[in-house]
Amino acid sequence: MARASRRAGLDDLLRKRVIFVAGKGGTGKTTVTAALALIGARRGLRVLAVEVDAKGDLPAALGHPPVGFRPVLVQRNLSVIALHADESFQEYLGIFFRVPRFTRLTPLAGVFDFVASGVPGPRDMLMVGKIAYEERRREADGRPTWDLIVVDSTASGHVLSQLTAARAMRKLVRGGMIGSQVDFVDAMVTDHRVTALCITALPEEMPVAEALDLHDQVVRRTDIGLGPCFLNRSLTPAASRQRRLLELLGTPAHTRAVAELVGDGVEGVVAGALLAERLAQQAQPHARRLTAGLSVPVIPIPLVATRPGLVTTRAVAGVLEAAA
Amino acid sequence: MTRSVVASAADAVGAPAAGPRPDSLAALLGKLQVVVCCGSGGVGKTTVSAALAAAIATVYPKRVLVLTIDPARRLATALGMTRIGSDPVPVPAAQLRRAGLQLRGELAAAMLDQKSAWDRMVERYAPNRQVARRILDNRFYQGISDAFVGSHEYMAMEALYELHASGEYDCLVIDTPPSRNALDLLEAPTRISDYVGARLLTWLARPSRFGFRAMNLAASPLLRIADRLLGSDVLGELGDFVNDLQTLYGGVQERARAVSRLLRSSRVGFVVVTTLEPPAFAEAGYFVSKLEEFSMPLRAVVVNRVLPGFLLEESAIQAAQALIENHGSAARLARALDAPVDAASLFGLAGSFSLLSELARRDARQLPRLERLTRCPHVQLPLIPERISDLEGLARMAAML
Repeated sequence: MARASRRAGLDDLLRKRVIFVAGKGGTGKTTVTAALALIGARRGLRVLAVEVDAKGDLPAALGHPPVGFRPVLVQRNLSVIALHADESFQEYLGIFFRVPRFTRLTPLAGVFDFVASGVPGPRDMLMVGKIAYEERRREADGRPTWDLIVVDSTASGHVLSQLTAARAMRKLVRGGMIGSQVDFVDAMVTDHRVTALCITALPEEMPVAEALDLHDQVVRRTDIGLGPCFLNRSLTPAASRQRRLLELLGTPAHTRAVAELVGDGVEGVVAGALLAERLAQQAQPHARRLTAGLSVPVIPIPLVATRPGLVTTRAVAGVLEAAA
Repeated sequence: MTRSVVASAADAVGAPAAGPRPDSLAALLGKLQVVVCCGSGGVGKTTVSAALAAAIATVYPKRVLVLTIDPARRLATALGMTRIGSDPVPVPAAQLRRAGLQLRGELAAAMLDQKSAWDRMVERYAPNRQVARRILDNRFYQGISDAFVGSHEYMAMEALYELHASGEYDCLVIDTPPSRNALDLLEAPTRISDYVGARLLTWLARPSRFGFRAMNLAASPLLRIADRLLGSDVLGELGDFVNDLQTLYGGVQERARAVSRLLRSSRVGFVVVTTLEPPAFAEAGYFVSKLEEFSMPLRAVVVNRVLPGFLLEESAIQAAQALIENHGSAARLARALDAPVDAASLFGLAGSFSLLSELARRDARQLPRLERLTRCPHVQLPLIPERISDLEGLARMAAML
């Protein structure tokens, strides 16, 4: 993809107010979420990064220990929050029923838990509802508390039921207070100017299949707007000149000649470069299948060799901005 | 057995697929009746499970079944088949032979269908068909079978138990769902019975039932809130549903205990499958410690997609460094090779080695952690970069197990 359109992809995306990042487990959701949050904060937006499953990976990707249900400022302009359904529920009751926090709600939470595990609606609804609530929050001077909310969503299998929870609840719960509030959540999720869903993938068989499946379901079954797809661990095949050089160095006579210059290790270097080339070639059909099957642009993020954490997040953010 | 069995990269790429050795992992695990493969998604668990099952069937003249919960078609593809249903289908021996696998036993494959597994459970434990029908038709039921955390895992265990009890197979290899939370799987049997039988649910049961009056005072404000939250028709309907659901309790609980016993018995072994990618590896570590905590027998760790060892060699790392840092390299190389060499290509070439080398070093640093974590054998399967046919890949992998 041309740089100009990639830049437009990223700029457009950062103009949204809420970005959900979703994809198969292990496709780099957390790193992409953290990198988008970092870029937004660098550009002067007040950013809230949201962790949905509370494993502590998102704060870690921003160089911070695990956080709780209250937003914690981890970098300039950048706060992180971890959502728990139970706490969302407590807060919800606090807001709408004036039930003080820390009231013994355990029995009710049990009932809620049952309903929530039986019906996907309420739990998901509360998670998304909390995000909608943060989106709506205003400071005393009237400006929004957050300019951008980036959500590290649950694995792709579940993200759709989460985002469509409000609509599902509409069918299930005809009356009740929840029933009267689902519309506002649904409106936020389906407003293309406000919310975008970004899918992450890897250039491998199953992650691409799952990304395409999620994409198709979003398009067919929902009114949710899609942002660009992030293809993590991308490997670019070498240019033809570099491939010729690789071939040249691979012949035994030449390897010996080069070994005299840089040492015997050159054999290993050639083998490694050859392996990288094979891996890149192997990834190509998957990357092409992804690009062909999506209605949105694909932004490749090259493979990095660091462990997940702030260093990796910064590297990915740098790549995204440099590519743009 | 405490030492690791390491298959080198050279074995993988060069050697044709021979049968597994007598001291192989397959020989060890094939003595068990049930082998549970677990690990996070994206580590090649389904393929490893299929290869392991195939390897066991080449070592022993046993009837081996590989069972997957993964609705994606990975198992079928790995076995070179077009479709695998919930009824076991034999994997054609001739096809496996062509790929280099000589079976001594039989190999079959099945894919668990979640929905029908739940339905069967309801039908089995409901006191009569009328109640079963009511549960199956209830709109909450749909939600439960789809969304209940751990239901995939429980159904996997339930199916496993049934197949084990049927005695139709000597050895079952099960590919578990790519559960992010390892606990879901291990706690599944008890969680499901708690779920169906939770005492709190009696609150939702019809008001006329025992204890309601006594609890009324305490419960009513909460019920009022619940009522306002959900709307009264929902609460009423839910109550009826709970009444029906509780009739399943005894049966489910008994079965859950039996499954739990089976999982802890000496006939069963767990295998953790992982790659050295940091998140997957961290998950594997968590799995290993949880298995220990639940006293479920871990028999082996399979480390998939290990990068070749030459990437770690100091001489190669230095050579790459020299090529990258020495600005005159390209010109000198051009003279030595008597061919045009441009600096950018040379830089790119050395750079692609360095990237993989860094990855290999990052991965290699994890291995000692594995040694500290568990003394059970681990097998490393090399990354195979070529695009090979699925069955051929399976045969190669089986040969290393």
